[in-house]
Amino acid sequence: MTVAPHRATAGRGTEPVPPSAQRLSWRDKLGRLDTKYTPYLIIAPFFVVFGIFGLYPLLYTAWVSLHEWQLIEGDQGFTGLANYAELLSDENFWNALGNTVSLFLLSTVPQLFAALGLAALLDRGLRGRAFWRAGVLLPNVISVAAVALVFAQLFGRDFGIVNAVLGLVGVDPVDWRAETWASHLAISSMVMWRWTGYNALIYLAAMQSVPKDMYESAMLDGASRWRVFWSITVPSIRPTILFTVIVSTIGGMQLFVEPQLFDPGGTATGTGGDDRQFQTLVMYLYEKGFRLFDAGYSAAIAWVLFLVILVVAVVNFAVARRIAAKG
Amino acid sequence: MSRTLVGWTASITALALVAACGGGGGDAGDGKVKLSIGVFSDFGYTNLIKEYQAAHPGIEIEQRTVKMEQHHTQLATQLAGGRGAADIVAIEEGNITQFRQSKDKFVNLADYGAKELQGQWAAWKWNQGTTDGGNFVLGLGTDMGSLALCYRRDLFEAAGLPTDREEVGKLWPTWEDYLEVADAFSGKVPDKKFVDTAQNVYKAILDQTEEGYFAKADDSFIGDKNDKVKQAFTLAASLGEKKQTGALAPFSQDWNVALKQASFATTTCPAWALALIKAGAGDEATGKWDVAAAPGGGGNWGGSFLAVPKQTKHPKEAYELAKWLTAPEQQKRIFKETGNLPSEPAAYQDPEVTATTNEYFNSAPVGQIFGDSAESLKPTYRGTKDSKVTPVFNNALSRVETGKQSTSDAFDQAVREARDAAK
Repeated sequence: MTVAPHRATAGRGTEPVPPSAQRLSWRDKLGRLDTKYTPYLIIAPFFVVFGIFGLYPLLYTAWVSLHEWQLIEGDQGFTGLANYAELLSDENFWNALGNTVSLFLLSTVPQLFAALGLAALLDRGLRGRAFWRAGVLLPNVISVAAVALVFAQLFGRDFGIVNAVLGLVGVDPVDWRAETWASHLAISSMVMWRWTGYNALIYLAAMQSVPKDMYESAMLDGASRWRVFWSITVPSIRPTILFTVIVSTIGGMQLFVEPQLFDPGGTATGTGGDDRQFQTLVMYLYEKGFRLFDAGYSAAIAWVLFLVILVVAVVNFAVARRIAAKG
Repeated sequence: MSRTLVGWTASITALALVAACGGGGGDAGDGKVKLSIGVFSDFGYTNLIKEYQAAHPGIEIEQRTVKMEQHHTQLATQLAGGRGAADIVAIEEGNITQFRQSKDKFVNLADYGAKELQGQWAAWKWNQGTTDGGNFVLGLGTDMGSLALCYRRDLFEAAGLPTDREEVGKLWPTWEDYLEVADAFSGKVPDKKFVDTAQNVYKAILDQTEEGYFAKADDSFIGDKNDKVKQAFTLAASLGEKKQTGALAPFSQDWNVALKQASFATTTCPAWALALIKAGAGDEATGKWDVAAAPGGGGNWGGSFLAVPKQTKHPKEAYELAKWLTAPEQQKRIFKETGNLPSEPAAYQDPEVTATTNEYFNSAPVGQIFGDSAESLKPTYRGTKDSKVTPVFNNALSRVETGKQSTSDAFDQAVREARDAAK
C-alpha cells in the first residue's frame, strides 16, 4: 500500500533534503495518510457495528438506569443513583448474585477440569479420532430448549430418571426444583453437559501445538503420564486456559437460559423457584424489566452485572495465571 | 451461556429495536389495506380471516401467533419502541390491567363507535376491557374462561365417592365442602393426590370474591387487610399442608406427566383447560375425566380482548375487523371449532352452544356447565398491579406445598413481598 514519495522540486534546486524538513506535496500527504490510516479504516466497520449495537445500548442502558423508567411509558423522571441505592439494599439482588456465583462455580470449575481431561484423552491416538472429536461437540450443537426439556424430565420429582436411579440405591426422591442445592446441581449439570465438549476442543487444539519432542524427552527421563500432563501439557497451553476461564466467567455470570427453562413457572413468574432459590442475576433483570416493567431498575442490574463480570474476570485472570504458572 | 455480554447489557433497548424490525402493517403495492393480527395459542381465527378477506377484497390480513408469555412481553417492547406491533393485538385477562396503565398507546375504540356494542357482552367482560369509568374502550372481549371442576371418575370410584357429575357437584357447594371431600378421598386412596396444585384452588376461591388484592374504590393495595385473601390462602394452603396436592406448577411439563400417570383426581378447569387436560392425559384416558360445577358458585378464569395499538396506520379498518371477529355469530363458530367459550350471552345462551357436549369428558354437557357458571359468577375486581402481586402468593403456596414453610409464615412473607411489588 505504500506509495513512493515524490519530492517537491519547486524552488530549492535538486539537492536532496530530508523529507521531514520539506513541505510535502499533496501526493506525499496522501501517501502518508494512506499508510497511517488505512488499517484503521479497514477495521472501522467492526467498531461502527460495535458502536451501534454494543456501545450505544450500553451507554443508553446507563442513562436509563439513572431514571425512573417504565418499560412502555418510558422516562418518568431523573432519579440519579436511586436505582443503584435501592439495588444495594435489595435482598433479592444479593440472593440472585449469590445464586449466580454458586452456579458459576459449580458448573465452571468441574467443567474446565473435565474438559482438560477429555482433551488429553482425545489428544492420544484413539481409533476413530474424528468421530470422538465431533462427538464431544454434539451437546453444544443441540438446541438449548431441547436440552432443558430433556433435563427437566431427568430431574423430575415424581417420575424422573435420576430419582429412579437414586431410589435403586435407597436414596429418597429429591425435589430437584424445590431445594437450593439440588436445583443448583441440576442446573450446573445442564451447563456442564452443554459446554464441556466445547472447551475440550479448544484445549485439544492448543495441545496439538505442544512440541512432541518435549514429551519424548520427558518420557525418556522416566516421567509418568500424569507428571507429563501437569508439567508439560498444562503449562504449555496456559494462554488457552486463561482464555477459556475468562470466556466461561463471562458466560457463567450471565447464566439465564438453563435456569429459566428449568423453572416450571417459566417467565410468567420468572422468580427461579418459589423461594428464588435458583434465580440468577439475569433472571432477576428479566423479571424486573419484562414482567414488572421496571426498566430503570432492570438497567441498573445490567450495569452492576457488567461491573461484577469485570471484577470476577480480573480476579479469575490473576488466579488462573498463578495456577497455570505452577509446575 | 449463549448470550454475549453486549447482548445482555443491550437487551432492554435492543429488543425494542429488533422488535421494530418486524414491521408494522404497511400498505401492499396493489393498494390493498394490509392488516396484521397478533394472537397467542389458538384463537380459531384462521378460517374466519379467509372469509373476511373474501368479503372485503380491499383488505389483506396476516395472522401472527406466538406463545402467550412471549406475546405480552413482545407487545410491551413494541409499544415502548413505537413500532412493530400488529394492527390488532390480543391481550389476556390477566395482563390487561398492566396495559390499561398505558392506554395512551392504544386507540380508544369508543372513537369508532364501540360503545354501541356494549350490550353484546356480559357486563363484567365489557368492563374489564374498558377504563376511565367506561369512557376509554381498550379492548373488545373474545372468549372467557368460565369455571368448572374436572374430576377423574375412576379415582372417585376407588375412593367410594359418587361419579355422576350432578352428584359430584352436590358434594361441594362450598370450598369448605371441597376440603372435606379431599379428606375423605385421601383417607381411601392415600397414594393419589386429590388436586394438582393449591395455586389454582386459591385463584378460583379468590376470583369469587368481590375484591382481591386491590380496593375497587381507589385501586389501593388491600391484600394485607382483606380477610378474603387470607381466607382463600388458608383454605388452599391447608390442602398443601395435608399433602393432598401434587405441588405441581400449573400446566408445566410435570403437570402433564402427572396427568398421564393419573396421579391427581381433581383440577379446576376453565373452558380452555379442557384441551390441555385432553392433550396431557392422552387418548387412553378417554371418558375417565368428567366436568362438574365448581364450588362456591361459578367464576371466571382467563379469556382475552382484542385491542388496537395507536401505532397502526389503519385504526378504522382494524376496529371493523376486531368488531367482526368478536361478534356473537363468530364467537359461536369459534366455540364449535376450538372450544373457546363465548363471552356474549347471545352466543353462550344459544341452543347450539348449550347443547354441545364433550365426548372426551364422558360426554359432559360443557356448553351448559360453563354457560351456567358464567351466569352465576360474581366478577372480582382486578387491580392495575394484580399481575405483579399474584406470583408472590403463588410462590408462597408452593413453599407450603413443598413443606418449606408453615401457612402463616408463607402468608406473612407473601404480604411483605406483595406490598413491595404493589408500590
